[in-house]
Amino acid sequence: MTIPTSPSPRAALLTWTQSGAEALANLLAQRQRSALALLGILIGAASIVAMLTIGHMAQRETLKLFAHMGVDMLQIHANPVGPLPATMDRAAIEALPRTDPDVEAAAPLTIDRAKVAVGPASQDAGIIAVAPNLPNLVRLSLASGRLFASVDEGALVAVLGADTAAALSAPGAPAGPGSQIRIRGYVFTVIGVLRPVAFTAMDPADYNTAVLVPLGDSARIMATPEPSTALLRLRPGADATAVGERLVVRLANPTSAPQATSAQELIQSLNAQKAIHSRLLTAIGAISLLVGGIGVMNVMMMGVMERRREIGLRAALGATPRDIQAMFLIEAGILALMGGLAGLAFGLLAAFVAARASGWTFSLSAYVLPLGPGLAAVVGMVFGFYPALRASRLDPIVALRDE
Amino acid sequence: MLEVLDLTKTYGPPDQATPVLRGVSFKVEAGSFCAIVGPSGSGKSTLMNIIGLLDRPTSGVLRLDGLDVAFGDRGQEARFRGATIGFVFQSFNLLSRLSAWENVALPLVYAGVPARDREQSALAMLERVGLSHRAHARPAELSGGQRQRVALARALVRQPRLILADEPTGSLDSVTAGEVMALLRDLNQRLGVTVLMVTHDKDLAARCERRIEVLDGRVVAEAGVTA
Repeated sequence: MTIPTSPSPRAALLTWTQSGAEALANLLAQRQRSALALLGILIGAASIVAMLTIGHMAQRETLKLFAHMGVDMLQIHANPVGPLPATMDRAAIEALPRTDPDVEAAAPLTIDRAKVAVGPASQDAGIIAVAPNLPNLVRLSLASGRLFASVDEGALVAVLGADTAAALSAPGAPAGPGSQIRIRGYVFTVIGVLRPVAFTAMDPADYNTAVLVPLGDSARIMATPEPSTALLRLRPGADATAVGERLVVRLANPTSAPQATSAQELIQSLNAQKAIHSRLLTAIGAISLLVGGIGVMNVMMMGVMERRREIGLRAALGATPRDIQAMFLIEAGILALMGGLAGLAFGLLAAFVAARASGWTFSLSAYVLPLGPGLAAVVGMVFGFYPALRASRLDPIVALRDE
Repeated sequence: MLEVLDLTKTYGPPDQATPVLRGVSFKVEAGSFCAIVGPSGSGKSTLMNIIGLLDRPTSGVLRLDGLDVAFGDRGQEARFRGATIGFVFQSFNLLSRLSAWENVALPLVYAGVPARDREQSALAMLERVGLSHRAHARPAELSGGQRQRVALARALVRQPRLILADEPTGSLDSVTAGEVMALLRDLNQRLGVTVLMVTHDKDLAARCERRIEVLDGRVVAEAGVTA
């Protein structure tokens, strides 16, 4: 070829922007068919957006479950193997930070339930006999008073959970430091009241509705003097499962078969459940996008067939095959993008409803916003490619003659 | 301006090829108004398609503005076509969703003209064909003659050197046809654009300064040769 003015990149860009505005008009002209293709893309984008947002919220909720304690906790609980109460050796537990390289801190405890009375008022409460380091280990904080010190070992002192304190308070006589409470015939002096704390998956009991007493008092008011449970904080990087397996063997005795539960394992099993939901939503999303993409292809193919004359005309007016291809690709992209944007809205709405239903805090991750519509647009372009190619390969003479 | 040398075109597989053009040669001077006449099946449409770079010859040379056209790359053909040739069709071929001025501006899109300039050029060209008052009307709201005038404005908007008109008055009543012909003549004279018009209307052809008669794939008669 001899002469032609080859178009500058600027000219090409102008062609493309023009096509964008035109594409909308062209799509509007075949509204019903476009709407059907949109629906598939919409459902696809919506399920992907919903999945990502729900996944994101679920992760936040999971971490919230371990919020006050952290995710490096390991709980070992003694299960009875015979008629005797299951216990573990307190000294062995307390020695763990020195004897096991992966344990940073260890606190033995025993849990029971008993009636707690103040004057005439009484309240059923969990009694947790704890080693003095437990409140720090699980990061409990005080509303008033003080926590246990090592001198309190064996003394009749108690720390009240927030709900217990409220339940034992009478008008004008709040239960707090200095109050006297009776448990199983012993009178305890309250030395502190805990702040409310979320009951999490790793807590052996709800601290809010409990009374904490020194483990040294176990011999007087608990079923057994030895602890039934141990809470351990692991050193960073420790493999909780491996440590658990090791300590279970180490703490086993004729009365009990200890069982280890780690925060890591709980998170894993929670995540595994969520992964099933995610996979389901991903599958729905992928299938819908596929169906939507085929819908886009269908709309575009029909469009190419119906607009053969227009394609021929545009070719006669100087449109290159590439221009024609771009026109249809942009139409497909815009069609899918609109579906994607609507899908984004619906997906976020679905995630919001899901969050409401599960009592979660709605939160969305920023990357979802461009991802849903972007993915849809890509699907549109991919499925629009073949019709666009067909259009660009039409013989202008044949196309123009088409009635 | 336009020179055709021994152009042939055959359709179909080589062993049973059907010749449509059997060696057509002629010359059209710049600025002339030339009619190609012939019965249907004579090969005049194929000839027009080849001159319009919409079809490729089997052999022979097409020379436009002294340059041999090398057929082959559809993209280059399209760009060259857009810059050099304006088309007028029997059935107007306006896009129904676009207003008159948007139809006129369409070729400018493929020339990479910015949107604002496109509107100005299109409006100016509509004024030239006497339709500036209908610039925002859709084709459906226009009469046949008005539609063909919009199509004329569209053919001229990129200031081509050659207009290829295929039965431009074939869909119009005789009065309107006369008006459109007069306009085409006028634009030919005032803008100096070469017009090549296919028609089977002998009266119309008789009014052209130059006539090429095609029959059975050959030029059988020429009239009004100036060079």
